[in-house]
Amino acid sequence: MELKTPAIRSPALGQILVLVAGLVIALPVAVVLMTGLTEGGGAAWTHIRDTLLTSYLTGTVSMLALTAMLCLLMAVPAAWLVTMFRFPGRGMFEWLLVLPLAAPGYVLAYAWGDLAGVGGPLQSALRDATGWSARDYWFPDISSLPGLSFVLACTLYPYVYLTARAAFISQSVCTMEAARSLGASASRTFWSVALPAARPAIAAGLALAMMEAAADYGAAEFLGVPTLTYGIVRAWKSFGEPAAAARLAFVLLALILTFVIVERQARGRAGIQQSSVRWRTISRVSLKGPAAMGAAALCTGLFTLAFALPVGRLVWRSLEAGTRVASVSDALLNSLILAGAGAAFAFILALIIALSIRGRGALSTFARLAASSGYAIPGAVLALGALAIISILPFAMTGAVALAALAWVYAVRFTAAGTEPMAAALARAPASIGLAAQSLGASPLRRTLEVDLPVAMSGAAAAALVLFVEALKELPATLMLRPFNWDTLSVRAHAYASDERLAAAALPALLITVAGLAPVILLSWQMSRARPGSNA
Amino acid sequence: MSKIVLAIASLAILAACGQSEPPAQPAEGTDAAATASEAAGQVLNVYSARHYDSDKVLYAKFEDETGIKVNVRESGAPELLETMKAEGAESPADVIIASDAGALYRFQLEGFTQAVKSDVLEAAIPAQLREAEGHWFGLAKRARVIVYDPQLLPAEEVDTYADLAEERLKGELCVRSSTNIYNLSLLSEMIGRNGSEAAEAWATGVASNFARPPEGGDTAQIEAVAAGQCAAAIVNHYYWLRLATGTTEERLTAARTAVSFPDQDTTGTHINITGAAVSSTSRSPELAVRFIEFLTTPEGQALLTSETKEFPIVAGAVNPEGLDLLPAFKQSDYPLTDLGSRQAEAQAIFDRAGWN
Repeated sequence: MELKTPAIRSPALGQILVLVAGLVIALPVAVVLMTGLTEGGGAAWTHIRDTLLTSYLTGTVSMLALTAMLCLLMAVPAAWLVTMFRFPGRGMFEWLLVLPLAAPGYVLAYAWGDLAGVGGPLQSALRDATGWSARDYWFPDISSLPGLSFVLACTLYPYVYLTARAAFISQSVCTMEAARSLGASASRTFWSVALPAARPAIAAGLALAMMEAAADYGAAEFLGVPTLTYGIVRAWKSFGEPAAAARLAFVLLALILTFVIVERQARGRAGIQQSSVRWRTISRVSLKGPAAMGAAALCTGLFTLAFALPVGRLVWRSLEAGTRVASVSDALLNSLILAGAGAAFAFILALIIALSIRGRGALSTFARLAASSGYAIPGAVLALGALAIISILPFAMTGAVALAALAWVYAVRFTAAGTEPMAAALARAPASIGLAAQSLGASPLRRTLEVDLPVAMSGAAAAALVLFVEALKELPATLMLRPFNWDTLSVRAHAYASDERLAAAALPALLITVAGLAPVILLSWQMSRARPGSNA
Repeated sequence: MSKIVLAIASLAILAACGQSEPPAQPAEGTDAAATASEAAGQVLNVYSARHYDSDKVLYAKFEDETGIKVNVRESGAPELLETMKAEGAESPADVIIASDAGALYRFQLEGFTQAVKSDVLEAAIPAQLREAEGHWFGLAKRARVIVYDPQLLPAEEVDTYADLAEERLKGELCVRSSTNIYNLSLLSEMIGRNGSEAAEAWATGVASNFARPPEGGDTAQIEAVAAGQCAAAIVNHYYWLRLATGTTEERLTAARTAVSFPDQDTTGTHINITGAAVSSTSRSPELAVRFIEFLTTPEGQALLTSETKEFPIVAGAVNPEGLDLLPAFKQSDYPLTDLGSRQAEAQAIFDRAGWN
């Protein structure tokens, strides 16, 4: 026997659990793909292929390219500044800049659409100040592809910011001090040493951000930008052709797979670079005068655009409208229950998969891949799959069945987000612990239960919180599957916003954001603690 | 030549000062109560494309008066239709509520409505506003009007729909996407009245007058007029009314614009409805009819229109606050049943006309 030490190996139970977890996740995806392959797609598909597919494809690809660029521009300089330098507000910005992650794309789209629209406060102020009419000046159009990219980058750049910051902290201290001691300037150190070393981590963060951007439905719909995901939902709801929607999903999945591969490869390479185990506190360079002001201004600007301004507008709108929390208390309760159920389901699946990773078996790879593809697939598509499956089964899509279906879709969609923190916890634990257990004669099952499980649970709080909030934010699948009297905050916000009643949408949108803050702050805090090098 | 075209600036601000108190939250039935009444079989499942707090009050009132428990699923009309397709004959829906006759037509076309007979409904609702066999019933009315900037355009230049296709309005029009059901229904009526060619010529003319590519909803078009981006826009009347009775900021927006009810000297302004249908899958159609009848009572009508600012359709019903900002107007008598059957053609015409 070689040193392959599966955590869940021969015990049939473990294998079966992983298989079941994988299948549970893969099933809706597979059903959708099968529908796309086998069913004709109907007249709607011919229409979509001939007239819309090109614009969906170019729309999605250019939106992703622009979003990626904006994410990098927002995230990398800010991460570099807060990690390497000392300037007024630095410690605060370190975690403030993660907060935009709390607001889902569609919430920022509502807020920014309101702020930057022709009747919104920004343009009104401009007109009032200058006496111009709307046709006397040019103003960036928020209801456009660049507008969508901007909004998505605002909420997704923290993925890149987090990975970039972690990379700068963990990988560069020694090398960068070496570079500096050899007389390299700060900018040269950044471009020639730090950035190349951090590139895999940045790519991994960016791939995650791109998956989220590609899966966005609410923001694209609200801003009227034709993307593949928008097209999928439209094929379903306007043309009434699930098969055509499934074919579009196929195209999207191909695109997404590219990001999954990029992320995998980047992660693989990132692992190798973890060479030094000696940690030292980073000695931050103090910025003086204009440089310090510039750094603070850049961080302030980023935080204002991505969070303070849009969220502030939502606060203003709900105060102005006088919406009482009581008016959405039922939706709040529904959200908590549904997200709780979905998170619990996803958590169990994520735990099973995380525990199986050490084994590197085919089943584990399958389950992990299934989770990744589920994560990348828009909720609307998964809902289609769930609907198709349930239509075969002998019960009606009501009450408990619909709730179960929704929890299932949440689990399919988000398990990957829970697997990662637990997998990370396992990866941090030295392999020797497991080997020691094995050499002491512990059975693989016992080793899994008594060694790996407790280790994985150390990442559990973060995983559970992430899962919970992701489920809370989910929109399209909730729209499609929720049973009677089960409106959630996201559903309510969407309904009001589509009714052109932004004032009413503001409060539920705000509550989603507030709920989202908790795990974001926890994650940010954990990250800064997990890296001894960051103690400043 | 009496033209009912309004410049309502000051009026709007005055009338909107007293904003209505949002209706109180209905008591939520507990799960246990729901189960109990379900056991008794007195449950009504409503699929509604509306999202108003006043609707919750409406349901609660109906529950109080009848002891029938009301379950609600709210979503966009297209999503509700697809949900029903997925559920098939097992769909629990009893009542379908949707805005626009064109939307209700889609449910009918897919076989999800059933013909019901009710003397109460036939007496209360004008024949134009309901499906002849009783597949759906109009409950509240909306008009598709022209909102314009009185500083830029004299009223008589925007007092017909045909005006909007005139070359003098080049670069002056704002309107939402043609995939929107309101525009589809408007063009459907034109096809029905004037024929496809005339309708296409109109759509092409309007599209060549756009100040910007279609974007946003009706409210966004009004804001664009108020901001000076365009001189006129096609919108449903209640979007303007909601601004005119809204926050200070919103009232200022409405005050910069005026409302024109088109075609007053000829066929009348295009109207549409919010309506209800009895689901073909309903196991208790008599409860469903009872519920729809409740919506035509003065109380039901008031609650249906109080937040939406639509026109009640039953004679004697109390108007929602702010409705008196708009004049009495001549409405088109075009049968709404015919709107749905021309939808596909209307969409094709819009596509050819370059009206996205």
